[in-house]
Amino acid sequence: MSPSRWIAALSAALCLLLSFPARADLKVVTSVPDIAALAKAVGGDKVQVTSLALSTQDPHFVDAKPNLALDLNRADLLLAIGMDLEIGWLPTLQNGARNDRILSGSNGYLDVSQFARKLEAPTTPVDRSQGDVHPGGNPHFLYDPRAGLAVATGIADRMITLDPKNAEAYRANLAKFSTELEQARAGWEKRLAGMKGVPVIAYHRTTAYLADWTGFQTIAYLEPKPGIPPNPAHVAQVLGQGRQKKVRMILQEEYYPATTSKQLSKLLPAPLVVLPGGTNFRGGQTYIQRIEEVVTRLENGLKGQGT
Amino acid sequence: MSVTSRRLAGLAVCLSFCLSLSASAQTSPDAGTPSASSDAGTPPEEASPDTGVSAEDMKALEEALGQDAAAAAQSGSSAAASGTPATSSTSGITLSPSNINIRGLELSFVLDVAGAAFTSKEPLQTGGHDPTVSGFNFQQLEMSLNTAVDPYFRFTGNIVFSQFGVEVEEAYATTTSLPANLQLRAGQFLTRFGRLNATHPHAWDFVDQPFSIGRVFGGEGNRGLGVEASWLTPLPWYVEVIGSVTDASGEGTARSFLGSSSGGVTSPFDFQFTGAVKQFFPLSDDLSLMWGLSGANGPNPTGYRNRTDVIGTDVYLRYRPISGGSTTMVTFQGELFYRRRQVPQDVLSDFSGYGQALWRFDQRWATAARYEFGSPARTRGSLVADDPLDPEWTDDRQRISANLTFWPTEFSRLRLQAATDLARWRERPDYSVFLALEVVMGAHGSHAF
Repeated sequence: MSPSRWIAALSAALCLLLSFPARADLKVVTSVPDIAALAKAVGGDKVQVTSLALSTQDPHFVDAKPNLALDLNRADLLLAIGMDLEIGWLPTLQNGARNDRILSGSNGYLDVSQFARKLEAPTTPVDRSQGDVHPGGNPHFLYDPRAGLAVATGIADRMITLDPKNAEAYRANLAKFSTELEQARAGWEKRLAGMKGVPVIAYHRTTAYLADWTGFQTIAYLEPKPGIPPNPAHVAQVLGQGRQKKVRMILQEEYYPATTSKQLSKLLPAPLVVLPGGTNFRGGQTYIQRIEEVVTRLENGLKGQGT
Repeated sequence: MSVTSRRLAGLAVCLSFCLSLSASAQTSPDAGTPSASSDAGTPPEEASPDTGVSAEDMKALEEALGQDAAAAAQSGSSAAASGTPATSSTSGITLSPSNINIRGLELSFVLDVAGAAFTSKEPLQTGGHDPTVSGFNFQQLEMSLNTAVDPYFRFTGNIVFSQFGVEVEEAYATTTSLPANLQLRAGQFLTRFGRLNATHPHAWDFVDQPFSIGRVFGGEGNRGLGVEASWLTPLPWYVEVIGSVTDASGEGTARSFLGSSSGGVTSPFDFQFTGAVKQFFPLSDDLSLMWGLSGANGPNPTGYRNRTDVIGTDVYLRYRPISGGSTTMVTFQGELFYRRRQVPQDVLSDFSGYGQALWRFDQRWATAARYEFGSPARTRGSLVADDPLDPEWTDDRQRISANLTFWPTEFSRLRLQAATDLARWRERPDYSVFLALEVVMGAHGSHAF
């Protein structure tokens, strides 16, 4: 090989090496996959998005594995649900990541709950004798596509602040996402018109925002207190209430045990509708596809079909 | 009543106490109090108790509940995940709601108490927070403080209240914004030698600490006043390099080093130097492996420039299926310590270590077993040495412990533990049984993996 070829090869290799980290302009890490899907919708090819939790995991309880700290170490922006949802694991990871850009209070940290209208915020003092209560309100707001849009808008603003040279791309992506979501929402609301006033039983208190959006009524929970597993006396009461109020379906996330719910579903009778715990972001699912899945399952539930 | 039958009776009482508590927790009719069942919003209306639920219905429901519990025992099944202390599952601690947070100062208290029964009048417990006498034991009341100091430092403190005094176990500042993936800690802290040393009792899978830690470092573990630097390497997998310089004195904390002997620092070589490398391998979503290598070097009190070396390795393997939302968890953990001490005219060396396995088979239940061993200190000629630290330790020691843990919620746990201690220099094995209760109040921060 001649010296000039060597130099060409070397410079090509250098270019490759140098261009490698510049593949994405913004490295975004999110606590849960629903936010990851929103961040990807807004960021498009300008961002690289990683979710710390999987959609099959209960977001309250994620192992603070060191490889997740490694993701945070290299992140420009950390997006979290907030309202104490991740309080058991995210602060440990943040403190161990040695990246002051993503510490709470820095520009690279965004608590997206600030963009959502909060439900079930306790008006009286709470303590742990009431179970796993969230003093700031119910954090499961991304079940509501209206909250999804507000959060996406907030994420876009922050991405523009951190990466102003791509501001146009973020604005365009947000506009596109907003149009698509609003169109889809009109369709969803039509399909779920029958949910208004429908009495349902839920496993855990994850249904507040879905109920607020679609209009169903959660008349009882299988958990006697949030985070406390069901017991026979309580489930019997729930069964009694369910029969009295003519409950139309039982709702639960896929990460909760299903045998009790199935038995209750037979005894009531009412279909058991199992909802996915979050967007399957790793599998390429978008936020709109996720809500579509939830809507389809609810729609089937209304027709008496369980999941 | 013979000693053995009395022991058995005691065990039966402990067991029945534990089980009755668990049963009452499982069946407490919480639903009877409408306000209590409300999370935060409007409480769901409660029906009167007799709403046409027949005995058959009840039976079917109870069977279903039983199946959910059984399903959780099998890996990969979809079992209740809410309320599962996944973050520090073995200790059963997460934090929600954070109800002691005074303008950013997070406060928490952990109370550990245990009832204990030993067959020996002088049990060989080595840990500062171990149950040590038959009867009730106050292990500790730990107060943890955690807050940001300013944009550059975080403060962490662990103040331990014992029955007769207060001890500042840890108090240190950690930097938050050093460049190049560096972090510094300064103050009094548990050094990050091995896996268990840097943790507190509520992160342990057992009521007591492995005797190797008490023997090599002291009842309080390898703790010191000094400074530590750690660096997260830019390698594609997690590799952390840690080095610290601490005072080599303190009986409960540096017993293989200067220990309680007087003689302060006169040169830079009078410190204890500790180094460690920790690597983490996420083998899959469900399987994780942590591996560490540690070493410590410092002066011992046997003469001018006589030093002690401790070399250790630790492994931690955790299987926790997250793809199916299961509550199953299986962990294996082991540490090995090799200690070498320069003494006048000789070098003493010994091995000690432990291996343990934990199986969490239900949202609320786990069982664990541990095996420990320790060799006597030997001279260069492989003879059992006249050990100035543990003169009675003239032969091998092995201990086997097993326990059963029940978590009513992630903020409390009950643990029944039994052990057989075979110290060969004693005439017969020692047996012990503990029933320990731990409660966590406040925003106790989760532990690192």
